[in-house]
Amino acid sequence: MASVSPEKTRWMRGPSTPLRGALLGLLLERPGHGGDLANRLAARLGETWRVDTNDVYRLLEQLEKTGLAVSRDEPKRNNHRRTHLVYYPTEEASGALTLWMETLLPREPVRLGLQAKLSVAREEDAHRLLAALRAYERECLMLAQLVSPTDGRGRSWTALCLDCTRDAVYAQLEVEITWASRTRQRINEFLERSQ
Amino acid sequence: MTPLLSFLNVSKRYPDGGREIAVLDRVSLQVEAGSSVGIRGARRSGKSTLLRLAAGIALPDSGSVCFAGRDIARMAGSERGRLLRGEIAFMSAADWRATPGESVVDHVATSLGSEGLTMREARRRAMRVLDRVEIGAACAEESTTSLSLDERARVMLARALAREPRLLILDEPVLLPDLSERDSFNALLRAAASERDIALLMASEEMVALQGVAVMMSLTDGELVSTEPLGVVVPLPGRRRAGAERSGQ
Repeated sequence: MASVSPEKTRWMRGPSTPLRGALLGLLLERPGHGGDLANRLAARLGETWRVDTNDVYRLLEQLEKTGLAVSRDEPKRNNHRRTHLVYYPTEEASGALTLWMETLLPREPVRLGLQAKLSVAREEDAHRLLAALRAYERECLMLAQLVSPTDGRGRSWTALCLDCTRDAVYAQLEVEITWASRTRQRINEFLERSQ
Repeated sequence: MTPLLSFLNVSKRYPDGGREIAVLDRVSLQVEAGSSVGIRGARRSGKSTLLRLAAGIALPDSGSVCFAGRDIARMAGSERGRLLRGEIAFMSAADWRATPGESVVDHVATSLGSEGLTMREARRRAMRVLDRVEIGAACAEESTTSLSLDERARVMLARALAREPRLLILDEPVLLPDLSERDSFNALLRAAASERDIALLMASEEMVALQGVAVMMSLTDGELVSTEPLGVVVPLPGRRRAGAERSGQ
């Protein structure tokens, strides 16, 4: 990725970046009010994320402060005497989402970040996703290399615990790599079919 | 320095019904002398094809596979055969073939047929290497049909080591249900290779079977991802179907 001014990546700082990024993607798909966006976010990311509606409002305000979203007070569809804030993406939003797709994520929680990107990725982001998945796979392989191999002679309780711990690390990384490579495979197959 | 083994833009395709499947797509990698490379991949990811190309058992459709700087595809069939019986050893748990009535030591000794040794010399070398893989003298005289899975793996390793190869290629090195036996075999393999300065190229579905390697790679859809981003491996976007338009990254 070419160097980007810190101003443009400021909104990507902090642990809530994956959710902010996913919200931005949803806004670009269709504007909405906080409750609607919270529901769409939960539907898109799945139950394991436990999306809190209050958090969604807070994140939308952050997006607005950074100039990526604007809100307008609009009458509710079912009750025109009452209003709610509807959020719209600004002109900068699409470029910001593209930048997020291209940005390498911090080690933790990498997979959540990738999952968030996947949930709102546009077709034109396919190659950015492939690059991010490949980078993640490489990261997992490098972590696996850091694990000291067993000497194969451990017969004590301590040696057994060490071997089991080592096994846990390998098992976890293997799941991550399997997921990343399977996802790459599916994206590649989709790209082929659409050619 | 010339790498011991190098792949440069290697592609391999196989027919699948009316179409062709690209099993490997422009794969590049290098294995240095005395180094170790582990390739992790799911079934049908192209691991075995890559290893067979490295051993000269199969030839690439395009690109080059070089051993010690020489293009394997340009060698005569007989020369490739000598390479595979000498400087390169190929070991796959699925290739175990026990001959009824043949002793373990003879099983290892007969693999040295092309070395110009007498049977007595071959048996002596076989005993030495069997001892290294912790197969005792009593077991060495037993029939190959009586071996446990763990013993079979060790005898296969002894057979590979006996020819004093420079490169040992292992397809699914350990298929042992007993986890402590598996760990023990892994450690033995690494130690034996390190003592003899043998380069290891291993592929497995399980990452744990590749522990301790210097370079770890993952193979998906014919595309390699490696811990060595440049120089050793050039990862390229994969495409399953041959002839599909390729997009650059």
